[in-house]
Amino acid sequence: MPMSIRPKEGMPPGALPMLILRVLHSGSLHGYAIAQRIHLLSSEVLAVEEGLLYPTLQKMLLKGWVTADWGVSETNRKVRFYKLTSQGRAQLKAELAGYDRITQAIQDILRTA
Amino acid sequence: MGELWRRISYLFNRRRLDAELESDMEFHREMAARAGHNNFGNTLRMREQSREAWGWTWLDRLLQDLNYGARILARSPGFTFLAILILGIGIGVNVAAFSFFNMVALKLLPVRDAASIVRLERRSLDSYTSEMAYPSFSFYRDHSRTLSASMASLGVPPMQIDDDLQPFSASFVTPNFFTELGTPAAYGRLFTPSLDSSPSSPPSVVLSYELWQHRFSGDPSIIGRTIHISKRPATVIGILPYDFASLGGHGPEIWMPMVQQPYFIQGSKVLTDWKDSSSRMWGRLAPGVTAKAAEQELRSLTHELRKQHPEAVWDENEFLQVSFGGHLQIMQPRMYQLAAMVGVLTLLILAVSCANLGGLMLARAVAREREIGIRIAIGAGRARILRQLFTESLMLASLGSAAGLGLGYAVMRVLLSFPNTPGWLSAIPDWRVMLFTIVITVFAAAFFGLAPALQIARQRQHKAIVRQILVGAQVAASCVLLIIAALLVRATQHVIFTDPGFGYEQLISVDPQLGRHGYSPESARAYLQRMQTRLHAVPGITSVALVKLPPMGHTVSNSNVQINGRDVTIYPNWVEPGFFSTMGIPLKTGRTFLPGEKHAVIVSESFARQQWPGQNPLGKQIGEGDTKDSVVGVAGDAHINALNDDDAVEQYWPAQADDMPGMVVVARAIGEPGSFAPAIKSISESLDPKTLPEIRQIKQLYRENVSRIEMIATAVSAIGLVAVTMAGIGLIGLVAFTVSQRTKEIAIRIAVGARPIAVLSAVLRQFSWPVTLGLLLGTTAAALGSRLLRVALYGVSNLDPIGYAAALLVLSGIVAIAALLPARKALRLDVARALHYD
Repeated sequence: MPMSIRPKEGMPPGALPMLILRVLHSGSLHGYAIAQRIHLLSSEVLAVEEGLLYPTLQKMLLKGWVTADWGVSETNRKVRFYKLTSQGRAQLKAELAGYDRITQAIQDILRTA
Repeated sequence: MGELWRRISYLFNRRRLDAELESDMEFHREMAARAGHNNFGNTLRMREQSREAWGWTWLDRLLQDLNYGARILARSPGFTFLAILILGIGIGVNVAAFSFFNMVALKLLPVRDAASIVRLERRSLDSYTSEMAYPSFSFYRDHSRTLSASMASLGVPPMQIDDDLQPFSASFVTPNFFTELGTPAAYGRLFTPSLDSSPSSPPSVVLSYELWQHRFSGDPSIIGRTIHISKRPATVIGILPYDFASLGGHGPEIWMPMVQQPYFIQGSKVLTDWKDSSSRMWGRLAPGVTAKAAEQELRSLTHELRKQHPEAVWDENEFLQVSFGGHLQIMQPRMYQLAAMVGVLTLLILAVSCANLGGLMLARAVAREREIGIRIAIGAGRARILRQLFTESLMLASLGSAAGLGLGYAVMRVLLSFPNTPGWLSAIPDWRVMLFTIVITVFAAAFFGLAPALQIARQRQHKAIVRQILVGAQVAASCVLLIIAALLVRATQHVIFTDPGFGYEQLISVDPQLGRHGYSPESARAYLQRMQTRLHAVPGITSVALVKLPPMGHTVSNSNVQINGRDVTIYPNWVEPGFFSTMGIPLKTGRTFLPGEKHAVIVSESFARQQWPGQNPLGKQIGEGDTKDSVVGVAGDAHINALNDDDAVEQYWPAQADDMPGMVVVARAIGEPGSFAPAIKSISESLDPKTLPEIRQIKQLYRENVSRIEMIATAVSAIGLVAVTMAGIGLIGLVAFTVSQRTKEIAIRIAVGARPIAVLSAVLRQFSWPVTLGLLLGTTAAALGSRLLRVALYGVSNLDPIGYAAALLVLSGIVAIAALLPARKALRLDVARALHYD
């Protein structure tokens, strides 16, 4: 069953997994914090739809890029924290490299066309 | 790999993981609410989407479908029961037929390395025999490199134990027979090459488990005791296991070592006679050798043998055919043909039951219209509905196939309960039967479930065309079955009420087996002369004669030729002049042989008619080469060794001196033929106590033969009637459904004054062309297909008009009743109420 991740406004297609991987790179976070972090770091340009975040996280769990472990939130509630695995780190590296190559290519066209 | 593992581990922890996801999202919502956002959306839908990532949605849906299907089926137990019954019969008949085929031709014998065992039989362009001379066997065994071992068995007429009246079947085998098969003894020991290869070793005998149980009451102390086999003392050395699997389904009760054959059958020269083809040869292919390669090597050995012993080989075209021997039955091409025919018939039954059930499903679909409509209205896709309906069909099919497996098992149990069934055979289905059942179940579900499901999912269940096709298919298939059944019934009648061409009722055959006892032609002639004279003197015996191949004997000789483009099988025989009058075969023209006559031949009426149509056969020449024989007489048709073969013709040659050791006495007697056995026994005792002639009543053999075909005809008729009954019930259902569907229209017609006939025709018109087409198709298929059946028809034409008329009449009658019974309801409609209703 293919997964349907429909991009919401402001979120380039396929970018969400990379962004999640990136924000988790600096430490494990729970779902809400991931959304918040992306929102804040993008200077409130990118909003992560909740309906998109959780299916994506499930897919990343399946791929083995992240694991989920119980922790305690800042509001003192038991919640799952998502943590990058070594596989996830490798994936992040690969996605960043790919992303750089694509943006570079797009930039080149924009500059010279 | 890791991903698959995580996927599977999710499946087993899904409840916990789903709860964790729910908690995540709940937390998210709490936090979002604090921050002043409240647009978290439909959490259930989001969770569903998240779950989809794990790829187990299909399983959920399947479980849902199964659950729903089970509820639907449980809610209408009547329909479910009927459907399982219909399918159970359709699938069960097929499972039973396949189980039998599997047992006979697919399952390997439970012996050591069954896959490498081959059967070797002599073949030439126009002759074949399944047996060869023992010296030839030794020659092949000693020279072949492609066979790692060779075994032989030599069947002999039943032999007597001590002073018993009832003889027991017996066989001689090479000492490696049991060691090659890896058979363990139940008690004592079996033959081994080291102990039983010498004619001088003490005479020994191995008994079958059955014989040991019944004749010796299972007493283990029988081992080492001396018993008399046809008056010759021998030591019982061992008992075969209960589940002993023999080669070629051949399982005598008494087993003796091959080299001691001359001891048990005194005077026999079987072991040294190059012309006495009586041993069956089996071989084991050497590792890595194919049957083709073995056949090649044996072909060159046959050439070599022909140089050394020309009398052992027919001609330069002779070769040994190597066929696979590790099954219960050595399958000949003709048997595959028969198996294919049976397969087609049983599939026809499945077709009837599937078409029938398809009709039922469609009718039900109309009743379920509301339910399906609601489901579509609340957003179920067409594919989802289709899948749901097909799941239901598969569930029904699975239940039906379980019933079918049960039926197949029961049929096999009945078959295996027949006497003389090898003990190792089991009715329990093996993996092949299981696989076959699964395949046929899916096939059946597709056949009865798919068309209705498609129609329903497209909301077209009111269209008549699918129903019409289903009716047509049922009628066509049951038509074929009924015609075949009718032909077989006709054949049975033919056999019972038609004169077989010879007076079988008063005949006895006496086979002294002189050749086996080493009689020379001269001594055999003298013995037979005295035997005939003595028999003549017995009060009640009116006529005695000699024949080489007695009626319904153990050996049959024939050759297939074409005469004027028609296939015929010639059955030659060698007889003495008195044969025709003793047998009660009339001479149509000409005369019988003169004593000592040579180069003369008597042919059967059919042969003469086909070979020389419209001419006088007398004086015509038969034969190849320089020695032509002229026809001196024409005898009536009498298929004494081919009762069921309408293509058989006979040729009789005068028996010569060399034939004497192989001749059999036939006698005609007044009164009960069975009562002459003691007199005949005492005559043979006084002539030569060594010989123990086999005395057979032809009437009894004939009746056994007839009862076999009666049994087949009964079974096929029963199956045909089941199919027709199913088709009838299906039609009743469909017509009743049509009437109920069109109640209003019919009521209006009656209200405005339509005659009953017009009303009926309005209801039935949509079924008339499918029925007609089905009858036509079925009749054509039966006419074409029944040609394969000819051999089983005992001389009834496969286009026998009475058989066809009877079958079509019965079928039309049932169809008419099935159609009119529910249609009558239309005439008795309460018009007022029908029109007031909604």
